[in-house]
Amino acid sequence: MSRTSVIALLVFVAILGYFFTFGVESTRKLQAGVYQLLSPFLTTGSGLEKQITSVRSGLKSLEDLERDNTALRVENRSLRATNQALRDVEHEVNRLRHALNYRERSVFKLVPAEIVTRDASNWFRTVTINRGKDDGIEGDMPVVTDEGLVGKTTTVSANISLVLLVSDENCRVAANVEGTREQGIVSGERVVGSITPLLDLNFLSKQADLKPGQKIFTSGVGGVFPAQLLIGQVRTFALRALDGQARLAPAVDLAHLEDVFVVTGRK
Amino acid sequence: MILFVLLLFFVVVAQIGEFFLPTLDWMYNAHIYIVPVIVFYGAMALPFPLVLALATFAGLLLDALTVQVVSGKVEISFGWSILLYAVLAAIMHGLRPLFVRGRWEVHCVLTGICTSAMLLAQYLMITFRRGSIFFTREVWWQIGGPGIIALLMAPLVFWILHSIARVTRSPYLPEAENYR
Repeated sequence: MSRTSVIALLVFVAILGYFFTFGVESTRKLQAGVYQLLSPFLTTGSGLEKQITSVRSGLKSLEDLERDNTALRVENRSLRATNQALRDVEHEVNRLRHALNYRERSVFKLVPAEIVTRDASNWFRTVTINRGKDDGIEGDMPVVTDEGLVGKTTTVSANISLVLLVSDENCRVAANVEGTREQGIVSGERVVGSITPLLDLNFLSKQADLKPGQKIFTSGVGGVFPAQLLIGQVRTFALRALDGQARLAPAVDLAHLEDVFVVTGRK
Repeated sequence: MILFVLLLFFVVVAQIGEFFLPTLDWMYNAHIYIVPVIVFYGAMALPFPLVLALATFAGLLLDALTVQVVSGKVEISFGWSILLYAVLAAIMHGLRPLFVRGRWEVHCVLTGICTSAMLLAQYLMITFRRGSIFFTREVWWQIGGPGIIALLMAPLVFWILHSIARVTRSPYLPEAENYR
């Protein structure tokens, strides 16, 4: 081995050692920095991808009409999401007023965002969105659509953020079952063999006996996800040695997401 | 050196491109990986110090774009992809004489194997962190599928990059002449 190679190897080991010492914050900062650096290319790529898809589907429309249509669709979805959130809050307020006389909860503040890219890895279920710190987004904020829960933000840079989807094994959501007192933890699967993943609802009691079609909502426990967001519907229920486990179909079509809303707080 | 800079550029372009490539649902939702093919070409076409530099760059980019920071924990810490790329690229570099003699098929097969080896290593690391190891058909396809795709892509990608290397007068070409 030549002297240059030995020096290169030593430098390589030093760099590797430096990266291995990275903690959570350093990792987040570096990741946010790289995403920020690449965000113009990712956004352009996303636009190109949409254009190619549009051409491929053979649909030609006037540019102005398309723009208006897109704006109206976003507005419509925003209103539907707000409406859904209002209904959720109304339901909860009524319940609390009648039962416990808790203080009223206000509606969510929603920041609309577009999906820029989808996961580029076999093992992680993530998407990036075109909103970041500049729009008031922070880490661990819930991401929803009018249909239900999408996931939560993880790494956030100035104008692009990483969203961990509810279908990822690492995204754990405390949940309860519609019409029962059953509670459990929803998480995704480690390996997904199809474009439409299912979710697992673990740690149910053995007496749960869930029926297909029953709705699963966030319970609000844990502090990240507010209560009463729809997660999915029960497909199957099975008993295990110590608990019951249900398989859920996600409420949101995660494979075809285009517009989402980040819950930045309550109004 | 021009080839090295170009390979760095191609790595960035390919890494961004991978975000927009659809998954192969007929292959159990496996992804297409182009970056390893470029890195492994670099492993054969560049001197050892530049191979390490290319592996560092590609690994850093991969880690930065895919590492998960969830609930105050980093799942696969920064640096592992660099190490994986470097080790596999070093193995490929060790077989460089074959490539210089024009025996590309060995490296095409190795590119497929090394791509799958990277995915297997990632899967094992995730499993180590999350527990409960299992190898279902989906897992095998998601590890093996991208390897097969990389193997099939390798001859074309190698040919394109080799043509670029020729245009940029890469220093390994005179070495090939010596073998002849």
